[in-house]
Amino acid sequence: MAGNSKTAPFFSSAGSGIFRMPGPQILTVLLSIVGLVVASIFFAPSSITLGAVSGSIPFAAVLAIVGLGQLLVVQQGGFDLSVPGGVSLAVVICAHVPAGDNAVLPYAVGLAICAALATGILNGVMVGVFRVNAVIATIGVNALLYGGVFAVSGGVPILTTPLLQKIVIGTTFGIPHSVYFALAALIVVAFVVKKTVMGRRFEVIGANKTAAAAVGLRVRLHESMAYVYAQLLYCLAGILLAGILREPTAFQGEALLLPSIAVVVLGGTLSGGRGYPLATFIAAIFLNQLSQFALAVGVPYSGQSIIQALALGLGISVHSMQRRFGQRKLT
Amino acid sequence: MVNSKLKLAGAVASAALTIGGAAMGEETPSWCGPDEATLALMDGFGGNSWRQVTNAAAAIEAAKCPSITNYEYSDAQGNTQKAISDIKAFTAKGTDALIVFADSGPAVLPAMTSAYRAGRVVIPFRVEVAGEEGVNFSKYLNTDFYGEGVTFANWIKEILPDGGNVLFLSGPAGTSQGVQAYEGMKSVLGDEYVFLNSLPFAVTNWDPALTQQVLTAEIAKHDEIDVIVSDFGPSLVGALPEFEKYGRSIPAIAAADGNSIGCFWHEKHESNPDFELFTVSTGNDDVRLAVQWAAALATGGTPPEQEMNPVPPFENSITGEPNPVQCRDDLPGSIFLSSSVPADVQAKAVGGK
Repeated sequence: MAGNSKTAPFFSSAGSGIFRMPGPQILTVLLSIVGLVVASIFFAPSSITLGAVSGSIPFAAVLAIVGLGQLLVVQQGGFDLSVPGGVSLAVVICAHVPAGDNAVLPYAVGLAICAALATGILNGVMVGVFRVNAVIATIGVNALLYGGVFAVSGGVPILTTPLLQKIVIGTTFGIPHSVYFALAALIVVAFVVKKTVMGRRFEVIGANKTAAAAVGLRVRLHESMAYVYAQLLYCLAGILLAGILREPTAFQGEALLLPSIAVVVLGGTLSGGRGYPLATFIAAIFLNQLSQFALAVGVPYSGQSIIQALALGLGISVHSMQRRFGQRKLT
Repeated sequence: MVNSKLKLAGAVASAALTIGGAAMGEETPSWCGPDEATLALMDGFGGNSWRQVTNAAAAIEAAKCPSITNYEYSDAQGNTQKAISDIKAFTAKGTDALIVFADSGPAVLPAMTSAYRAGRVVIPFRVEVAGEEGVNFSKYLNTDFYGEGVTFANWIKEILPDGGNVLFLSGPAGTSQGVQAYEGMKSVLGDEYVFLNSLPFAVTNWDPALTQQVLTAEIAKHDEIDVIVSDFGPSLVGALPEFEKYGRSIPAIAAADGNSIGCFWHEKHESNPDFELFTVSTGNDDVRLAVQWAAALATGGTPPEQEMNPVPPFENSITGEPNPVQCRDDLPGSIFLSSSVPADVQAKAVGGK
């Protein structure tokens, strides 16, 4: 596969373009978000005001970054259940290690990145080398990470440093910086996966490990590295979350596990192989806006959960039907 | 099964030794009997500073009784199964008195009933667990959240005599604390006071991220929010600056106290003309009554007469009664100045400097 290095266009309708604009996955999620905006105009106009969007978009950015990490693991046929621990550990390291001292923040960020690398390698070695089931390995590592969270924080929240708040909450051209970080993560992931030899190998291995091994690709290495890349992205999300929230709790990543999987699936990546970073990114915005819509409509909490579950179910059904329809056409 | 946090245990133990040591010279309280006993606090969710300070308060209270030979703490981390196994583990271990912070509600009642039938003193407090005294547990010690709601409502009537828009935020869906506080407020406030949230309260799980998302949506939806009521003030701090993004003043806040919200008021009230702050005691000391009851029943002391914890007012930015708004900016924002645990001891307990 490496020898087949025909360069894909930046945008393309098929194959390996960075952002597969007309692809059914992106079209589906784009149509969903357009439908949601239309519904918002009629039923919850306050949810699409500039203030509401700018207030909630940092959370969409965090979810998008976490979703991109989960996407890479799903592309290798796995699931990463260590999202809560990975994000929470980055949050507490960035909040507790500096303990309000701006000068210590760079050291804390470096420490968080080192912890993410170590976690990713641990996950990767267990899954890629020792062939431990991904769910079992990552859930075990998540418990280990929670131990780290307790060790760093004692389980309690603390105010984050003013510098981190300023960097993350600040805006440029009216857009919160967290959104730029998410866009940068998207561009890097999409470029590497779609435009580099390494990325093309990565997708091919995810699609068919046996065939990839037969042509001499380093299957285990690529599979393991997916967990390292994912942890680095969770770490970025955790650092941003520590800045967005003035006083984050010690378990701030807890609520991100299911949404991280949901955005990957809503983005059309249902199993190993080809992944859709842009669709995943848009799905994160969709899911966030859906929460805001439910809140703005003013339905009870149970109703909010049901609306979100229905939207997810619908999205997954559409993608599944697309996939089945596509397979029938092939046969 | 029993998760003891070493770092926290160290801080709490030293606090208990310091304060308990001082108490050694004092007369043994009447609730402390002659029989030796061990005591444990089983927390359903220990992942916030409020619970750490509460644990510190329990350790200090237990140290006042020389007959309590050992105090332990466990944290179920919000996991109902772990909460049940913690109760069973302490029962099997032979701990004489179990104080249960039953965040999982009636789900832990069977485990408590087993412990009670095995001869342990079982004291659930603050969170309703159903069941019956003398059948499922020894004594349930409620906190007067209804009264808390009444206190909030009386202040709201003072500042908004002609009515207004109220936004009430509480914890997880269905939590008895939020439901009772809402009922208390409704008993005082008439129809001229409109609750903007879905009833009985907007669900925040006491989580700052969800609080921020909920508040963002509510601010966008309602042009006029006259007062925000929250039973966990510190979780509001990250979200309140949203008002400034809209060019609106932060409204009046009625909340349970916390150092961070007190300091936030000092930082922001001059630039936000509508920002008045009224707080009630956040109730870390409720656990002291639970310790007294548990120790009394386990050591053969005299049980206290009190059976319910009140929720007294703590700060009022308008009248300064009973206290003006407090702020210790030299200490972590996550401590609670209404607690009788000294501020510096709290700072150690929550891992601050």
